[in-house]
Parts: sequence; structure tokens; C-alpha cells
Amino acid sequence: MERGISYPYGRSSKSTRRFYVGGTALLLIFATAAFADDAPSVGPKAETPIVAKSPETTTQRLLDADKEQQNWITHHKTYNAQRFSTLDQINAGNVKGLKVAWTMQLGGVEGGGIWSHGGLEGTPIVEDGFMYVTDGWGSVYKVDTHGGLGRLLWKMDPKTDHDWAGAVACCGVDNRGVGLYKDLVISHTLDGRLIATDKETGQVKWQRQVADPDKGEVVTGAPLIVKNMAITGVAGAEYGIRGWIAATDLDTQKEMWRTFTLPKKGEPGSETWSGTNSEETTGGGSTWVTGSYDPISNTILWGVGNPGPDWDNAYRPGDNLYTDSSLAVDADTGKIKWHFQHTPNDPYDYDSVAENVLVDVDGKKIALEADRNGFGYAVDRTDGRFLWATPFVKKVTWTKGIDPETGKPEEYDAKKQVQVYNPEATPVRSREITDICPGNMGGKNWPPTAYNPLLKTWYVPVIESCNRITIKPETKANKPRDFFTGGGPSQPFRITGSVTAIDVTTGKVVGKHETPYPNLAGILATPDLVFSGEPSGQVYALDAKTLQRLWEFNTGGGVNAPPMTFSVDGKQYVAILVGMGGAWDKWFIDSTPELKKVQPGSTLYVFAL
Amino acid sequence: MMVMKFCVVGSAAALVVFLFSGTANAAENSLETGQAIYKRANCVGCHKWHGDGGGGYGGAALSLRKTELEKPQIMETVKCGRPGTGMPYFSRDSYPSDDAPQCYGLTSKDLETMHVAQAGVFLRPGEIEAVADYVISSIKGKGDPNLADCVAFFGEDSKACGVYKSGGHHELPTPSTTQ
Repeated sequence: MERGISYPYGRSSKSTRRFYVGGTALLLIFATAAFADDAPSVGPKAETPIVAKSPETTTQRLLDADKEQQNWITHHKTYNAQRFSTLDQINAGNVKGLKVAWTMQLGGVEGGGIWSHGGLEGTPIVEDGFMYVTDGWGSVYKVDTHGGLGRLLWKMDPKTDHDWAGAVACCGVDNRGVGLYKDLVISHTLDGRLIATDKETGQVKWQRQVADPDKGEVVTGAPLIVKNMAITGVAGAEYGIRGWIAATDLDTQKEMWRTFTLPKKGEPGSETWSGTNSEETTGGGSTWVTGSYDPISNTILWGVGNPGPDWDNAYRPGDNLYTDSSLAVDADTGKIKWHFQHTPNDPYDYDSVAENVLVDVDGKKIALEADRNGFGYAVDRTDGRFLWATPFVKKVTWTKGIDPETGKPEEYDAKKQVQVYNPEATPVRSREITDICPGNMGGKNWPPTAYNPLLKTWYVPVIESCNRITIKPETKANKPRDFFTGGGPSQPFRITGSVTAIDVTTGKVVGKHETPYPNLAGILATPDLVFSGEPSGQVYALDAKTLQRLWEFNTGGGVNAPPMTFSVDGKQYVAILVGMGGAWDKWFIDSTPELKKVQPGSTLYVFAL
Repeated sequence: MMVMKFCVVGSAAALVVFLFSGTANAAENSLETGQAIYKRANCVGCHKWHGDGGGGYGGAALSLRKTELEKPQIMETVKCGRPGTGMPYFSRDSYPSDDAPQCYGLTSKDLETMHVAQAGVFLRPGEIEAVADYVISSIKGKGDPNLADCVAFFGEDSKACGVYKSGGHHELPTPSTTQ
């Protein structure tokens, strides 16, 4: 399944390269021979010669990403996934003056498979003034941000097969961004490829098929670059796939390891699948949100999705490890070190794909996870021992609470093969319709949290929700590329949102900024501000302590991607991708009817004082 | 476009019919139009390309392969939608504001209190008939989808049909860079 593409590109030639870029998108010229030689004079005559060259992204720089204040060189800003920038030129005192500096129209809005359009969910990556963003179909754009303008340097279109992948993308045509490794931009495509693109030229050096849409596997997450590896997660639990996390050696393009999130019969954890259905007939355990990395223990922390079929938990008696769990694996071998499961034998679709945020507080090494089930969890990241859990949503009905000793839901009964939790609010085969809070989107979905280490405060992008689950018991094994959900949700209730702040020293909610629509964007934290966005178009800044809204701007599109910040030429910017994607406008829109007016789009917004 | 036309027809024999029979030509044109509307109106979004619908993240769409509806009922469902479900109405005039209701005795006022989804694109009456014809002739009553069905929908070259082929090995697409 691998195909290397030889690419005669001498490193020595790079130092003399100059890029000349036309002043408007209309002047862009298509490169002719895709993998031919390295003739530098590709563009029209220079309006602006760009003399700076992108540096090598070394392992050491990625480890020290927090020291590169001006940059954002890995998906969650730093390996600890805090999404905290120390840049403070834009601050609570002057954020009112934040204005659009420039915008750029991107592509990828076209539909495919069951999707009428693509959207933007990515986090821009910025390295020394050069920005890399992706659209939903996996095109990578390199943008030069020097001089207070955005200039497109190149666009790499992976030519993703729309129908093949779009038919089995459960939840939208999405791509959450790139990773950097040496002189390469590493990206994924919905149709399951890992692609290495030359930073300077935009030419693809090699590509490798990591996931297989023929089985219902697609890839939406950004790769996590650790040492010489790209770590890939997969989506497809709604189609009965058996989830995994895979590591590809970026120097040899070989697979280093692949750790499945559902054990095979006989492997540790298989005793938690006690029915006659095997991991192949049930499936689940997707891993489609980029994880975090603890270099001290050489551990990758990664969230694992729900079991299949989503709502029919009688189909799969047992706790169903390692679904709905945070997983700690050895970075070199992929071997599972520990796990912490949030919702055993999940009947709600409360997956745990969320990022684990690594924080050190009061001498404790903590991993934080804001779960789709509505609770924020803290565990000891050295061994997975439970520390505390607190609800970050206004309404939880599925359980009375989390047992402060065990970390399990209070109603959890180890002797039961099929968990019922709160019987009134748990989908069961004997009753067709059940209302659950939070709704099956959560709680909190993929949009990332942020953590301010100065304030020891953790900010959660919340979907304040309930919805209705209609059970349709599954009787047969799943078929590849067929939905395998055991029912489905509907939206008789209005859904709103919030940014909810949790004091990590106490585990208590200390603030809630309520919004009329769910937070589908995610959070950026700076020393005294919190940035986020709304599906109704607003990008906004909150005071980090009071959560008072200090600034907003309506982009005119649906915000479905997290903000980030960077600095170039000594000036700070805030960037965010705007263009409603994901599952909301297809499956969940009835809970927010006004959002039906939001049109598809694909725009990069960059703000400055 | 011609390539698509040949794919829809699906065999050399049918192609001959297509070329030499005026009646068949009209029928095939109508089916082709119906399939194009099926795609454009995003019927695929819930019923899937094969019409079998099935479970979904947004709940189940009914199977058009197993449906027992006849053409007039299919046309009515497309025109009027199904209140309280995800099936939207595709005719702009289905729920007028005056008291001459077109669908289920309901007017636009009733829609303020009950949910009927509105389609992303509206269809004209002839288009509704064409898509109903397509459902009746190419989807209704068919068994499990197979390679021929898939090729008829996507064309010969689509990867989407690889799953119906044995040993479906895929060539990787060739990315292209613009500067």
C-alpha cells in the first residue's frame, strides 16, 4: 500500500531559493510537471521577493515549542496540549481595538459522498511567519504572513476521492491541520493517506495509505509529530471499524507500530467484551482527535471513541475496553501503559476522543480530559489513577454523578453486563425513545480546551444540550461502509453553549460564559484573555478571570475551528478558519434552527491591533 | 457527459437501443435526468447512493430499495416532506400562506408550531416526477447493492465501487501543487 515518490531535491539548492509570488490569487500559475526538477522561477515577476526561508523543524524545537513564543508549530501549540500562548501584545486592556488585518479565501467547500459541502476545522500552524492551513478535503496551503499581509505561496491538493471517502465520513468533510517535521509538512486526507510535502516547494515527497475507506476508515485529525514519527488516529466507529493509533517513521515511511483500541480475544481487556459478538462484529474505539505527549515518561496520551453500535449497548455486554477511555501508550512501541475509562458499556455515544491536557499542579502530574459525557476529569498521568471529576455542563441526567473514589458513574455495577445508569435517561432496547443530557454530541466534542498555567484555569468549549435517542437494536454483524449505530438521535430541544472555566487546583467550576449556540470552535488562552468563536459567526475574546466578553467580530460565516495566535515582524496576530463543516448542519441543526441560514464557506481570518 | 450517459445505460446492448430507439432514448434521458436530480437534490445525503438508507448518525432514512410506495406517493413525499422526520419538502409552494394547502392540509402557519424540514434545493414538478421515476425503475425492489449498481451511479473509475470488487487495490491519487 505504500508508494514512495522519488524527488530529486538537493538540500544545497534550497539556500539560494527565492520565491516570487503574484500579488493576487488570479495570477497564480499551475506548476507543470508535478515531480520534475527544482527550477525556481515558477511564478510571475516579483512584486514581493520573500527572502526568508522556512527553518527545519527539529525534534528539539518541538520539545521546546513553548519557548518559541512567536510560533505555533504543533497542533495543540505544545505537546502538553494546553493551547496557551504567552504573547500579550493583545491583552485585556487593548483587545477592544482588535481588527481584521487580512483574510484569505480557501477552497474545499465542495461536497462528496453523503455531504453537501466541506468545512474548516483546522488549527493553523505558524513557523517564523509562514502559516500552514488545510481545508476539509486535505489541501494544504502555505501562506506568507510577513509584512502585515497574507500571500499564498503554494497549495497542495491531494486529489482526495470525494465519493469514496465522503460516503463513510460519519460527521463531515473535515481536516484539522498539519504537523511539521524537518523540511516537511505532514498532513492527512479524508481518504486515509499520510502525505509529506516539501515546505519550500509544496511538492509532495511521498504519501502512504494509513487508513482504508473500504473498511469505513477515514482520517480527519492532524498528525502528531513525535521524534521521527507521525502519529495518526482514525475515525469510523459509526461504520463498525476497529479503532487504532498508528505511528509512521517519517524517514523510512514504514509503519513503526499500530495499537488497536479494541483488544482481540485473549488479549488484556478482551474479558470486557463478554457477549458473543467479537471486536469485528461490534467495532468502535475511534481516535480522531490529536493527542498529547509527555516527553519525560515518553508517553503518548490519546482519547478513544465510543463502542459500536453507538446506542445499543445490549449488543455488546461488558465494559467494552478501551472504548470511552483515555489511553497512555509508550511512544516507541505503542504498548498500552494505562487506561482510564469514563463511560463503561456506553449507551449514549459519549466518546472520549478528546485531547488530554497535561498540567502540573501542586506537585501532581495531571492529565485533564473534558469528556463528551459532560464531566471534566483529572487523572494522575503517571499511572491513570483517578483524581477528580466535575460536571462542566448545566444539565446532566444520565448519572447522579461520578463516584469520588472510583471515578466510575455512581450507578455503575461491575456485576452487570449491560449498564443502565439512570434508567430514565438511558437508551434501552425495551423502550424506543429516551431523552439524554448531555445530548450525544456532548458535553464537549472535538473542539479543544485551553489551559492557562498562570491562573491554573482550564477553559472548556461546551455544548449545553439534551437530545432524543431512538433505539433500533442491531441484530446482525456490521457490514463495511454501512452505518452501524443501533438507532439515532433527533433534536426536539434547543441547544446552547458556553465557555466554562474550571479551577484545576480545586476541580470546581469557577465561571461560565453562556452563548446562544453551542461552542463548536474550541479555545485559545493567553495570559489574560480567552478567545473562541460561535457557529453564528462571532469570533470573541473574554477576560480570562471574569469571562466577560471584551471584544467580538462577526465573520459572516460559521465558526467551527479553534483560534490561535502568533507573532511576525514583532507584531501579534490572532488567526482562525471560518466555514461551517462537521456534523452540526446535517444532523443537529434542528436544535439551533437559526443556524440554517449560515452558508458554507472557507475563509482564513487574521486579526491584529 | 457522454461517458456518464454510457455508464447509466450500462451495457453495449442497451447502448444500441439508446442510439436507435427514439422511445428508449426518451426513457433513458428521463432516467438520467432523474439520477442527476437524485444527486443534485442530495437524496444521497440520507438515502445513500444506493437508496437503501439505513441507520445513520441523524437517525434512519427509509430504504427506497425496500419501499412499498408507488410513484404518486413517492412524488407526494418528495413534494411535501414527512412532518416530524428528517425528510424535507422539495417544492417551493408546498406550504403556502393562504388557505389553499397543498400538503396534508397544512399551511405555512402550521409550520410555525410543527416541524417539516425544508430542502436545500427546490425542485419543479417535472423534476419531482423524474426523480420518482428513477427511484421506481432503478432502486425500488432491488436487492443488496452490487458493482453494476455502483458503476451505474458513479461511473467506471470511481473508488466508491472498489468495495464491490474482489481484491480492490487502489492506486493512490496523484496530488497536485499550484504555486
